[in-house]
Amino acid sequence: MTEFFAYAVMALPELLQGTVVTLKLTAGALVIGLAIGLPLSLLRVYGPKLIQPVCSAYLTVFRGTPLLVQLFVVYYGLPEIGVSFSRMAAAFITLGCNSGAYQCEYFRGAIQAVSGGQMQAARGIGMSRFQGIRHIILPQALRLVIPAWSNELIAMVKYTAIVFLIAVPDLMNKAKILSSQNFTPIQTYILVALIYLVLVGFLSLILHGIQKKLAVPGLDAGMDGR
Amino acid sequence: MTRSLLRIENLCKSFGATPVVTDVSFDVNPSEVIVIIGSSGTGKSTLLQCLNLLHTPTSGKIFLEDQEITAPGVNQDLVRRQMGMVFQEFNLFNHLTVLGNVAIGMTKVLGMPAKNAEKKALNELTRVGLADHWHKYPAQLSGGQKQRVGIARALGMGPKVMLFDEPTSALDPELTGEVLVVMQKLAAEGMTMIIVSHEMGFARDAADRVIFMENGRIEEQGPPDRIFTHPASERTREFLSIITTGNTDQATGKASPDRP
Repeated sequence: MTEFFAYAVMALPELLQGTVVTLKLTAGALVIGLAIGLPLSLLRVYGPKLIQPVCSAYLTVFRGTPLLVQLFVVYYGLPEIGVSFSRMAAAFITLGCNSGAYQCEYFRGAIQAVSGGQMQAARGIGMSRFQGIRHIILPQALRLVIPAWSNELIAMVKYTAIVFLIAVPDLMNKAKILSSQNFTPIQTYILVALIYLVLVGFLSLILHGIQKKLAVPGLDAGMDGR
Repeated sequence: MTRSLLRIENLCKSFGATPVVTDVSFDVNPSEVIVIIGSSGTGKSTLLQCLNLLHTPTSGKIFLEDQEITAPGVNQDLVRRQMGMVFQEFNLFNHLTVLGNVAIGMTKVLGMPAKNAEKKALNELTRVGLADHWHKYPAQLSGGQKQRVGIARALGMGPKVMLFDEPTSALDPELTGEVLVVMQKLAAEGMTMIIVSHEMGFARDAADRVIFMENGRIEEQGPPDRIFTHPASERTREFLSIITTGNTDQATGKASPDRP
């Protein structure tokens, strides 16, 4: 046991460097995904019919193929047609576009869960469709989406691990190097697992706090019987 | 020619191939209170939602103070803010406080500064007797309170006419009374009102005119005294007798808790 702790103390600085990269990737992917997913979901619900096939195609491609395949296509495939990215850029783009597809569906579900009467009432007091979406629908949908969105956050922390396959220096990549240098796969990967666990636990806690803080009084009253 | 506030000419509305409102015409005078009655599914609510263009009429014309609001190119948002709408299911904005529900139209649609809007909203809430509840959220209110907030929200926009779409149908008899009291007060203040309702007692007490609709058409209209005592149409008689015999309590008792 003491051996493990000694190794942990030695390995942690290196692993934490990788953790920073992992967190950057997670944050970047989620932000890009949000920037794609939210507008896309609005198009899905309120957009013109003509544009729907384009949205569906995007969703089908990114949700229907393995993330790893998407990453390889972007990093190894696109350079063949003259579009090449750095490792980090390829990782951000792939994770972001992939997350955008999932986030779109989360947002769409939340928007549709806000009752149609809300939009009717918004229009009834003279709001435009855009104002209705902005002031009435979205504030409610964004609250509803938090639980589903937490899933996406948790998943993304772990999905980022695949980028070590294109040699992005993330947590997984550092672990791989450490374990082969020191012949310590068990110790290293247990440490890595613990770090991921702490990250996920910490982030879920934050989101749970946000959800509680934004809850509308009286809406989640539920029951207190057994 | 007397100037009517609202004029409806040959209004038709169909959903796909199904006609719902057929060739409806009537005038609404300033301060007039009109109650539209009729069986379920006869197009009353659809007619009402056509009036403020929440539904686009298939054909026919609507004039608001001599301006044709069904003409192409008319700013429909501008039209809607002049016509207050109260919904059967209240449709309060769940994420906003009572005060926020009433104020948001003033700030976002009319462009009022937040302070003024809140002051005016509080005034409207006083009108419906809910000023004390300004800080609550819709989920914390009773049905009757919700509907009164709905009325205050519509009043806050300073509408020329108020449209009520079965405002008490989702309420139990006890709560119905408090909403009808507010509506009667509005009528007494001279608000122009068009109300789709099953409250026959209210229609008799507060309406200047009752319109009976059947199969998407106006079957008969006139002052409540005449409609309720000497209906000209056989179908009106039939409807009224079912309503009053089957539902005696509601038809006579409900609307008058505040009346001597």
